[in-house]
Amino acid sequence: MAKVLGILKSPEDTVSAIHSLKGAGFAELEVYSPVPYHGIEEALDRGPSPVRLFTLIGCLTGVTFGYFMQIWVAYDWPLVIGGKPFASIPAYTIIGFELNILLGGLFTVLSLMFFGMWKSRKGHDAYQPGFSGDLFGCVVSCHGDQIARAQDLLKRSGCTEVRVVES
Amino acid sequence: MAAITEPIPQSPDQINEDILRVLEPPTPLYVLGVLFCATVVGIGLVAFLYQTYWGMGPTGLTHPVMWGVYITTFVFWVGIAHAGTLISAILFLFRAKWRNAVNRGAEAMTVFAVLIAAMFPLIHIGRVYKFYFMVPYPNQRGLWPNFKSPLVWDLFAINTYMITSIMFFFVGLVPDFAAARDRVRDWRRHLYRVLALGWRGSSEQWRHWSRTVLHLSGLSTPLVLSVHSVVSWDFATSLVPGWHTTIFAPYFVAGAIFSGIAMVITVLVPVRKAFGLEAYLRKEHFDNMGKLILLTSSIVGYSYGMEYFMAWYSANPYEQMSFWFRGFGYHWTSSWIMIGCNVLSPLPLWFRWCRTNVAWMWVTSIFINIGMWFERYVIIMTGLSHEYDPAAWGYYVPSVVELTVLVASFALFLTMFLVFLRLAPVIALQEVKELWYESRSHKGHH
Repeated sequence: MAKVLGILKSPEDTVSAIHSLKGAGFAELEVYSPVPYHGIEEALDRGPSPVRLFTLIGCLTGVTFGYFMQIWVAYDWPLVIGGKPFASIPAYTIIGFELNILLGGLFTVLSLMFFGMWKSRKGHDAYQPGFSGDLFGCVVSCHGDQIARAQDLLKRSGCTEVRVVES
Repeated sequence: MAAITEPIPQSPDQINEDILRVLEPPTPLYVLGVLFCATVVGIGLVAFLYQTYWGMGPTGLTHPVMWGVYITTFVFWVGIAHAGTLISAILFLFRAKWRNAVNRGAEAMTVFAVLIAAMFPLIHIGRVYKFYFMVPYPNQRGLWPNFKSPLVWDLFAINTYMITSIMFFFVGLVPDFAAARDRVRDWRRHLYRVLALGWRGSSEQWRHWSRTVLHLSGLSTPLVLSVHSVVSWDFATSLVPGWHTTIFAPYFVAGAIFSGIAMVITVLVPVRKAFGLEAYLRKEHFDNMGKLILLTSSIVGYSYGMEYFMAWYSANPYEQMSFWFRGFGYHWTSSWIMIGCNVLSPLPLWFRWCRTNVAWMWVTSIFINIGMWFERYVIIMTGLSHEYDPAAWGYYVPSVVELTVLVASFALFLTMFLVFLRLAPVIALQEVKELWYESRSHKGHH
């Protein structure tokens, strides 16, 4: 499997490169950009990030644990105050809410670390420091006989430089 | 809000260069500034150790005023910590693009302010080494904290806010650390390599990153409103005249955002001048922050008036006495400083000329910082010193130890901010570049 890198100057050119490569049947694409660009995300069409599921799990865990901890403590050391129930649900809502946010946030960031950093830590041989400056990179994985076609498509999409990175 | 219509006139690479220039080796003036602030922090530490050794005697706290400068300063710093989340999270959700230039500095202030705020209840309890009594953990005595106490709510609220703010701040910094890693050539390259966590700016990384920022914003928005509400309930759930009022939560939240934005202006104006960042922190930003100040100042001013109205309308003699004392008792100067700084000093900002005059905004922001500290001082002091029974009325004068710790907290804030200036981009590179691309695309460049 070879990788062909095309370097572009604008996000609009990058979007058009993605469209033409996908139109020509190239499915394995990776794009580097200095900023998140909605058009690129739409063109790649990878669906929503799984991070959202982990936020939900964190929030539900937090709020459940928050209420559970307070209610359990109220019955672990029961204090009779004016004949009222030991557990005071309205007062416990505050800590339940805070733990909902805390664990929701922690799970969100941990899932970013897992999906965004750990899982995608390899295979960045085509990366160039310019991609954190003002350049966009479009990397297409293809077989040896498709290299010329990929290079041609990238050049026609406005790439300032096209080269084979790995073969 | 005034829209930022003109694209920032540099290329994205120029934006990198301009903003990362702030990280260049420091000038002697900068080093002197850090050393001065660190020395003041050291003096504050000595005062704190003196107090820890002798007990609370060296403070001015005595019956009936058992909350003083420390709790005032705690509430003040929690308030300052609100601007970062307002600008980063709430304005992000409202898609207010002008926030991009100021959000990083505001987020840094949030983190530093909340760290300092969290220290003050510990300083206030005297026996600081017993702070963990508040934390619920299984112990041999079988005792648990009282989860119905606002002070325990505070523990959870402040710590949640601290951790969430740090995470929000760090996640936003990761792409900028990668930009710094790719440009810096000295020892800091290794530091940024670690901090960038292997960031490459791939579409897969941006996909997860964007979702994370969106969710953290969504979580932080109700959090920021809850934190100062919980702080206000430290007062409102008591029966002290002047404190026991339902207006406190929105009144405190508006005051927190008011003071936070003022602190953002106070700190960013010198940074803008010192590092030549006029092209990034532009007059439109000050114009917009001025409007936010006007809005929150109006809410705060309305709340001041409404407190007096309710005291009169309630026909409750204790409430009326407390508010008469607030305006005309021995703390009257503090009350009128509060009203002068928070209600009157922002009034010229109704004129655009004042909002776009950076020097004017800076002076106004300092007045607001002073006024907002006094607001908390007035609430605490007047409430506690004149409660129900005239025989139990008292007097409070802050001691030298308390004032030294107060001054040291400002020095600590400045020390942390100065160190931050040299370690991380003070303006969010990636967000300014995003704005640049968007502005260019709206102008039809291709």
